[in-house]
Order: sequence, then structure tokens, then C-alpha cells
Amino acid sequence: MTSRILASGAAAAVLALGVTACGSDSSDDTTTGGSSSAGGATIASKFIFGGAAEFKTRGDGLDGLKRNYGVEFGKFRVTDTGGPVTVNALKNGQVDAANVFSTDPAIKANGFVILADPKSNFAAQNVVPIITKSKASDGVKTTLDGISAKLTTAGLSDLVSKVQVDKEDPDAVAKGWLSQNGLSSAGTAAKGVKLTVGSANFPENVVLAEIYAEALKAQGASIKTKLNIGSREKYYPALKSGSLDLFPEYSGTILTYLDKKATASKPDDVYTALQAALPSNLTALNKSDAQDSDTVVVTKATADKFGLKTIADLAKPAE
Amino acid sequence: MTVLADSTSSSPLHFAQYFLDHSSEDLRLLWSHTWLSVVPVVIGLLIALPLGWTARRYRWTYPPIISITGLLYTIPSIALFVMVPPLLGLDTLDPLQVPIALTVYSVALLVRVVADGLASVPEDTVQAATALGFRPVERFFKVELPIAVPVIAAGLRVAVVSNVSIVAVAGTIGLSNLGQLFTQGFQLSTPDAYYPPIVLGIVLCVLLAVVLDLAVVGLNRLLTPWRRAVPS
Amino acid sequence: MIADVVTWLTDSSHWTDTKFDTGIWTQLLAHLKFVGIALAIALLIALPLGLFIGHTRRWGWLVAGANALRALPTVGVLVLLTVIISPHFQGRTDTGFLIPTEIVLVLLAVPPILSNTYAGVQNVEPGIRDAAFGMGMTGPQVLLRVEFPISLPLIFSGVRSATLQLIATATVASYLPLGGLGRFIYDGLAQQDYPQMIGGGVLVAALALLTDLVLATIQRYVVSRGITRRFSSKQAVPDSRIAAVHETDGAHA
Repeated sequence: MTSRILASGAAAAVLALGVTACGSDSSDDTTTGGSSSAGGATIASKFIFGGAAEFKTRGDGLDGLKRNYGVEFGKFRVTDTGGPVTVNALKNGQVDAANVFSTDPAIKANGFVILADPKSNFAAQNVVPIITKSKASDGVKTTLDGISAKLTTAGLSDLVSKVQVDKEDPDAVAKGWLSQNGLSSAGTAAKGVKLTVGSANFPENVVLAEIYAEALKAQGASIKTKLNIGSREKYYPALKSGSLDLFPEYSGTILTYLDKKATASKPDDVYTALQAALPSNLTALNKSDAQDSDTVVVTKATADKFGLKTIADLAKPAE
Repeated sequence: MTVLADSTSSSPLHFAQYFLDHSSEDLRLLWSHTWLSVVPVVIGLLIALPLGWTARRYRWTYPPIISITGLLYTIPSIALFVMVPPLLGLDTLDPLQVPIALTVYSVALLVRVVADGLASVPEDTVQAATALGFRPVERFFKVELPIAVPVIAAGLRVAVVSNVSIVAVAGTIGLSNLGQLFTQGFQLSTPDAYYPPIVLGIVLCVLLAVVLDLAVVGLNRLLTPWRRAVPS
Repeated sequence: MIADVVTWLTDSSHWTDTKFDTGIWTQLLAHLKFVGIALAIALLIALPLGLFIGHTRRWGWLVAGANALRALPTVGVLVLLTVIISPHFQGRTDTGFLIPTEIVLVLLAVPPILSNTYAGVQNVEPGIRDAAFGMGMTGPQVLLRVEFPISLPLIFSGVRSATLQLIATATVASYLPLGGLGRFIYDGLAQQDYPQMIGGGVLVAALALLTDLVLATIQRYVVSRGITRRFSSKQAVPDSRIAAVHETDGAHA
């Protein structure tokens, strides 16, 4: 079911909202949340939602879910950015639905169900390198475009799974992927360029940053890395001010971060809107086909119990 | 559900293997951790010396100096780390934020140590030195400070050892040091616990704390040769 | 910047719970709960142990051992214990995060209380102790009626520094993530909401100050005047060993 929903959402963004199995056990104690809203008890109003702190303030976070689907959760619990805390909280029943990334191997491993996002609350999330314009020489562009051309959603899931499940090193995984895709040959395309590559604090982003870094290094660039920096709210100012030069980004979220009112949802529209929204010193290179969306997920048991298929179902009245 | 190769075993005892597999990265983290633990204490001591001396020399300054520095010490480290960049106009990722914050703590801790250490110098010793013709500044560096060394060293031991722990806190907000081993291990602990980086981080932190502690003890012995002459 | 922090702190909507945001009052209570539980357990462990070791002069290595605990990186132990313990707790409970937090906090609070209690009892003048025995007091009587009251100032100093460390370190619980005042710091950081983040820091510092003030007041009423005169903080500390004990108050995380 997970994969079907993922496939159907491929054109637009997929929002995986996971519902956990244990939520059903504890739905009785969720008295804290529900009934406070005048609209009566929707399913969502009985739920505790788990996500990173910034999900409360992001345009496509709680506000977006309310605006697009009329979904208002009973409570919000701060966990982490789609990491182990979020996954475990969902698995163990501390939250009933959570914000997890669609490429997370934990979704499959735990049988979480991604709730479809027909209204594209989460815009298309193509992996795209954001770079300081002055550092984007032709050689650097060619190298990074080569990577984007080979990156696919399935490939991305594979990369994450190698790091997250097999506990391989991100840099080793990056090197392996480059050589597998014939991108590891040494060259001089980026010779003389000095770049600082950054990453957010989740494994997939770290691997992507390592892929950029290793490929550019092989092309003669002098590379520094600052990985695991934190949330976008934390690293973006550094990118904007030039203390970071290159960052693996997700077209939709960076767009909504830059422009809270952005409405584009299809990959190409998002990409065009993103180029326009970026400050003059930054630019987005070619986007890849690989998507890693924010999703709302629930456990299988919760999905079955409440008959949840899309995020909109959460706004239905609870029995 | 997870098939693990030998080199990636998640057993806690595999931290040594983990270290060998990632030695260059881990040594880099260890080095930056060491640097962050030591330099702020040295700078903190250099700032605390004149402050402590003032608190001792002009008694009325003791209560305000001690309570203001004590106040600084109550600010939680995580808050101080994140407050330093906006307050000083630094970049959010400026690597200086941690040493600056830790220097503040070191000063806060060491001012009282220096003042109390100087207070531990017997009054007759000071008077004897004055009678021998030592001028105040000379007397401070040649008589009072050396005698206060053991007490100051005791404070330095606390400062370096607690710095090792505080620096690791900075790892939770993405700064590069041994604390990152904890965040990495935490992140990789799904679906199952992944101990090696966490245990390795703890082992390296403890080793670092012990080595730095011994270094201060050794320095103390070196600077106070007279104490070895008299059995205590 | 400072004005923004003041605005954040004085905005009454930040003090009470709203649907998605937990207010300052609730987090303050959570913070106090973390600290209170840890302090109570640490006192139960360290106080009797310190009195016993100081009185009998046996097991002195325990004090050294407890002091060695200070070398443990708080965050590392917290993460390790969380990874071990939290999967065992299912459902709407924070117990899986609370237990690791309390263990870490207790580990932090025991050394200063233990070493100060021990040093306090040990530093009681031998003459006083002999006089008490000479009056026919038994060992436990000497400990409880003479050595304990005399060592109270040092014990209080240990408890106060332990409490300060607990209040500062309980913020790390929010990394797990639990509640407490650290929530504002970590959330403010993630949202780049500096007023919230710094406001959280200010609240923790203010809580630490207030608590220390309360403990200082209790100390004034509990400690016998005859003793405070001898150990008055304004008086120069004559014995470098006592001074050193005072200084070990510092560990902080």
C-alpha cells in the first residue's frame, strides 16, 4: 500500500503521514486533545502529532494541514526531524501520527502507512543542489548536474537504507554510489574551486552532501564539509551569508521556507518558483528526479482502525 | 530484520572496531574536543587572575565580583552557546561560539578559585615578603601566586574536566566535536540500538578528561617543588 | 534583541498552554520535577554515605570514585541510557525518557553532595569529637549531634552547587525530547526563534538564582549560628584543603 501511494504521488509531492499501530491501544487516553475545538471530535483531534519543532511554524506544517485539509491535531509533540525519536514515538504509541520522510527505511520496516497528500500540502520535493552563484563554475555545474541526472527516488531510498539500516559510513556510501554510476573518475573540471558543503542533521542529507563533496573533490575542487548542522532555520542563514557554498536541498520545502505563500506543487513549477525566490547570490542547479517528501505517516493498526488513506481522512468525525 | 556485517556490529563492545574504521574522522573530533576543552580554560585563567586579585586586594569588590561571575555560571551551557553568536554578531555557525561560551564559564569558576587561593596565603608570609622588600606586583607573582597554585590547580582540574562534558553538549546543536558521536549513534539507533559510536564517544571523553586532569596535577607538582620537600 | 526577549517573556500567551505549544508554567513545573526527583535521590544516596565515610574514615575510595563520575560526558550517558531503556516503554508515557534523564541527573548530583558531606565531617576538629566521646556519647550520637551539625555549612554548599548543576543540566532532557525549560532553547534553535531560545535560557538562569536564594535562606535558619560564625563566607578560609573543597563545587554541564 505504501509503495502504491508513493507511486501515485510521484508526479506531485508525497506527504507521508504515518499512523502507528500502537496508537489504537492508547487512543482511549487521548482525552487531552480532543473536544477542545468547537467543531467536535474529528479523528485528528484525538491524535497527538509528532514532528520537529519547526513543523509548528513551517508554512506546510500544522498550518498547511489545517488550511488544506481542515486537519487539526489534538496535540503536538516535538520529536526530531524525521529521525529515530519520531519513528520510535510513533512505533511506541507516544504519538499517533508523525512527520517522516518518504525515503525513510523505517516506514517499510515498521509497516507505517503513508497518508496520501492529494492537495499537495507538501510541494514536490526534488533533490536539488543550492549553490553560491560565484562558486558555480561550468565544471562544478557539469559535475553536479551529472549527479542529479543519475539520482532517482529508489536510489535515494537505497542510499538512506545503507546508512540507516546497514550502518555504513555516509562517505563510503557516497563513494560507492558515485563509482556505481560511473561518476567517480578523476578529472580537473572543478580545479581551483574552493567550496564548503553543508548538510542538515539527517542521514540522507549527509549522504547527498558527501556525494557532492566527493564528486567535486575527484574533479580537483578543494572541499570543506560542515555536516549535521541542524534544521533549515539554522543552516540557511549560513548559506545565505556565504559561510556555506553548497547544500543538497529539497525543492518544495526550501521554496516554502523562502516564500510561505508559495502555491506551486508540481516539480517543474516548484523549481521555477524556487529560482525566483532564491536571493541573488544563490542559485539552484538542475534538479534530480529523486524525491524525498515530508509525509504524514500512521501505523498500520491506526490506519486500519480509523480507515485512513489520505490526510483528508483525518478530518472525518471520530466515531 | 537487519543483517549486520561484522564490521558494523551494533554491540557496545565494538566501539574499538568502530574507532579503527573511522579513525581519521574520530581523531579529528577528538582533536577539536581537546582544543575546545583546554584553550578556554587557559584564557579563562588569564582573565580570572586579575579579577581574583582585585577581589582579594580590595575586599569590598569580593561580593559583587563573586556573585556576578557566579550568576554567569547559572546560565545553562546550551543557552550560552546559542546566545553568543547573536549577541556578538557572529555567524550562527561560527566555530568561535563554543570557546567563547566556555571561556565565560572558566572565568566564572576560576575567579573565586583565584580569590580563595590568594586568601589561603598566610598573612605572615605576605608580611614577611613585604618586609623583605617585595613590591606588590613582584610579591604577587613571586610569593602569593606560587603559594596559591595548589588551590588554583584544584579549580583548574574541575574546569577542564567539566569542560570536556560541556563541549559534548555543543555536539547536540551540530558543532563538530566528540558530542557528534552521540548524535550520530542516536540517529542510527533505529530500528535497533546502535551502540559503537555512543560508547566510543563516552570512552574518548573519559580518557580525555583523565589525561587533562593528570596534566593539571603534573603541572601543579612541577610548579610547587617545595611541597614535595615536606611530607604532608 | 534584548527587547525581543523581554517581549517574548512578558507575552502572557507564552506562559499558559495552548493547543500546540506548552506554556512556561507547565515547562517550569516539568523542569522542577526533573530536578526535584534527582536531588531527592541524590540526597538519599550521598548524605548517609558521606556521613558514614567521614565518620568511620572507611571507604574513602568511594568519594574519589564518585568524583571520577564527573568525567562522564552527560549527553553521552543520556543518549546511551535512552537507547537502552526507552524501547521498553510503550504507549502514552515518557517513562522511557524520564528514567535515563533522572539517572544522568543523579550521577551529576551525587559527587558534590558526597564529597562535601565527607569533607565536612572529616574536617570536624578532633578535639570536639574527643570531647563528645568523653561526655559519653556513642558513635552514632557523635555523628548526628556533633559532626553532622558542624558540617552543615559544607553540606549545604555541596547541595547548592548540585542543585545549580541540576537546573542547568535538566535542559538537556529536551534533547531526547522531554519537556522542561530546555524545550524553549531547543525549539527556539530549530525554529531560529532567538527570543524564544534566549528567553528559555534566561528562565533557566533565573530559576537557578531563585532556587539558590531559597536554599541560602534555608541554610541560614538551619545552620547553628555558632557554626556559621566560624565558616562565614566573608572570612578568609584558612585551610587550603577546605578552600579546595569549596572549589570542587564547580562542575557544570
